[in-house]
Amino acid sequence: MESLKFVRKPKRPLPQNNRITDQRTLDAKEINPNAEQPSQAATRLIVSSSPHFLNTESVPKIMHNVVTALLPATAASVYFFGWRALLLIIVCVVACLATEYAFQKIRKQPIKIHDGSAIITGMLLAMTLPAGFPIFGAILGSVFAIGVGKQLFGGLGYNIFNPALLGRAFLMATYPVLTTTWVWPRTMEKAIDAVTAATPLVMAKFEGKFDVPIMDMFIGNTAGSLGETSAIAIILGGLYLRYKGYINWKLPLGYLGTIAVFSAIFWYVNPAKYPSPLFHLFAGGAMLGAWFMVTDMVTSPVTSLGQWIFVIVAGILAVVIRLFGGLPEGVMYSILFMNAFVPLLNKHTRPKVFGEVKAQKG
Amino acid sequence: MNNIVKMFLNLIVIGALSGIILSGVFGVADPMIKANKERELKEAIFVVLPGAKDFKVLEKTVGQEKLIVYKGIDENGAPVGVAFKADGGGFQGNIGLMVGLETNYLKLRAIEVLEQLETPGLGDRIREEAFKDQFKGLEVKPKVEYIKYRKPEKPNQIQAITGATISSDAVVKNINRAVEKVVANFPQEEMTRAEAAPQAAPKEAGNGK
Amino acid sequence: MANSLGYEFKKGLWQELPPFRLVLGLCPTLAVTNSAVNGLAMGLATIFVLFTSNILISLVRKTISAQVRIPAYVVIIATLVTVADLFLAAVFPDISKSLGPYIPLIVVNCIILGRAEAFAQKNSILPTAADTLGIGIGFIISLTIMGTIREVLGFGSIFGVKLLGEWFEPWIVMILPAGAFLVFGGLVALVNWISSRKAEKAASAAMSR
Repeated sequence: MESLKFVRKPKRPLPQNNRITDQRTLDAKEINPNAEQPSQAATRLIVSSSPHFLNTESVPKIMHNVVTALLPATAASVYFFGWRALLLIIVCVVACLATEYAFQKIRKQPIKIHDGSAIITGMLLAMTLPAGFPIFGAILGSVFAIGVGKQLFGGLGYNIFNPALLGRAFLMATYPVLTTTWVWPRTMEKAIDAVTAATPLVMAKFEGKFDVPIMDMFIGNTAGSLGETSAIAIILGGLYLRYKGYINWKLPLGYLGTIAVFSAIFWYVNPAKYPSPLFHLFAGGAMLGAWFMVTDMVTSPVTSLGQWIFVIVAGILAVVIRLFGGLPEGVMYSILFMNAFVPLLNKHTRPKVFGEVKAQKG
Repeated sequence: MNNIVKMFLNLIVIGALSGIILSGVFGVADPMIKANKERELKEAIFVVLPGAKDFKVLEKTVGQEKLIVYKGIDENGAPVGVAFKADGGGFQGNIGLMVGLETNYLKLRAIEVLEQLETPGLGDRIREEAFKDQFKGLEVKPKVEYIKYRKPEKPNQIQAITGATISSDAVVKNINRAVEKVVANFPQEEMTRAEAAPQAAPKEAGNGK
Repeated sequence: MANSLGYEFKKGLWQELPPFRLVLGLCPTLAVTNSAVNGLAMGLATIFVLFTSNILISLVRKTISAQVRIPAYVVIIATLVTVADLFLAAVFPDISKSLGPYIPLIVVNCIILGRAEAFAQKNSILPTAADTLGIGIGFIISLTIMGTIREVLGFGSIFGVKLLGEWFEPWIVMILPAGAFLVFGGLVALVNWISSRKAEKAASAAMSR
């Protein structure tokens, strides 16, 4: 009995391929209902277009490289927000690891916390929190991110939503005030008389001001979440990932490009009312989302067309929420929303299999 | 054939019985429901016009709209202020306020939230005393404003609730809109004129209609 | 068919627990359980309608022709729901306000019509009474548990009494619709886990025999 339960678990956590194979098995039947029951070997011939590198790299190695790529942003957050930022990151990472361990222990699965995926979730979650966020809130978010966002779906590779963003969304709904209580970076003098700080996006949304110097936003000298303020640090990490070949350029550049083009339309029509594309690119979580969350291997489409649809719709959504929604920032919900469509996109944008014919009616 | 007659009879009897039951229950419940609503209205008026012992209903039709204000009077019939409803969209649904204004149309006396559907724990903090108290004695000229993150600096400013700017903004806008309408349509003399002193049993004398 | 009255009563408490086992009546389960009082009030209103309507349906089951039974049942249920709605609005205006449109929506609660179709129209009064009381009490308990969990986490209180101290930062999400789904999912999982454990135990007991 016990072994039956986990029969779907892959030996190696190569979820993507496994998931696709599952789908392929289904698809093959749909495509050609006249065919005899497709044998297991026949369906294995159908491979996904990308990413092929998964087959030659081990998950821990990829994950540890992602951690390395996050180091510049970590360093920038500590520089701008002090040791409190490092404390938050450590708390999130430890809480994520502990939750993963606890779940795998309870479900009597092999303990795989050393693969690094929980470390990344923890780091990314911390990156989306303001520096003054309370420790208990960070722990709660981490437990939700790993517990509900990942392990309840079946662990690494089976999750539909990006766990870090799901944790952040849960915290946003749970502690709406604390998640939006920002502090000024310590490099800024202006904060002394003000109780709480306003991010560039909050200023743009509620006060109609977007006069924060682009250079400050590029370097990170503004209020915001730990890993969101410094665009340059995130771009460095992203380029490292690209150099290592872990991310597909379509995803981050497509997302950022859509944001830039779509916001440029409004800016061109009325530059007094709508912020410039550069503002949109460097404000809020656009950079972090584009390089580290849109590119999440598990929760982004595998086909080229699917990836284009994914990033373009997500980019438009992010700008629409920012400009016309009730919230100042739309990156998180835009990515989570499109995550939900990934299985659908994978299914319907699959390239034609060689020799495939449409099923004939009758 | 017989079956069809039976079906008709079934439905007619059941419909008639339920009609009788409902009219009976409605006859008992409706006066109580009306009394509840009236008591609520009265309580809200007395909250926003401290010192009022009774009120008089003034009505005016402006275009399509019917404006109703409640002129609060003390035990001698001297006006203590004017109360009126201010409705408008909030973050999720209508925010209904009762606003008390001084008769000289310069300052608010108090406000009360009658209905709201704002986010619990965030927007619905507009019901908290700490937020409502900010409106006591607030100047309405040129108009009510809100300020974020800081203590109010001007006599016509309140501090918005952190994290619930939209709800705070909706309250302020509702008040401004309603105050503007009342000031434009009810001449001040009508408000400062003394009324007949309320009768000995003020509880029953509330309805000026 | 001749189950004991005790069995008909007890099955609603666990085996056929409406929201978690039958997954029926989810609209009120998810919508009004943001506090324990609301959950309890909704449960009470539902059991009133469930019990009286099913007794009536069981009484008239032989006189109503099969073709028009559904409209006849709906009229009976709607009448009783209206009675409950008017009663709450007249006597408990606060509860009526916080439950809002969900009291009238009891009409479309599928537990009631479901029990009428599945049970009351085939059984006499006593089994029907036992069945609806069991299901109704199961529903009350389910809603009150949902409401209690959400109120404790979302407000730090239980039945309006402060339970957790100042140190507790309320989880706003629990009062929002999302919290209803989270708690509901958790409780369904819990109920399934307990019953699968029970089944395993029963199976192993049978094996060892």
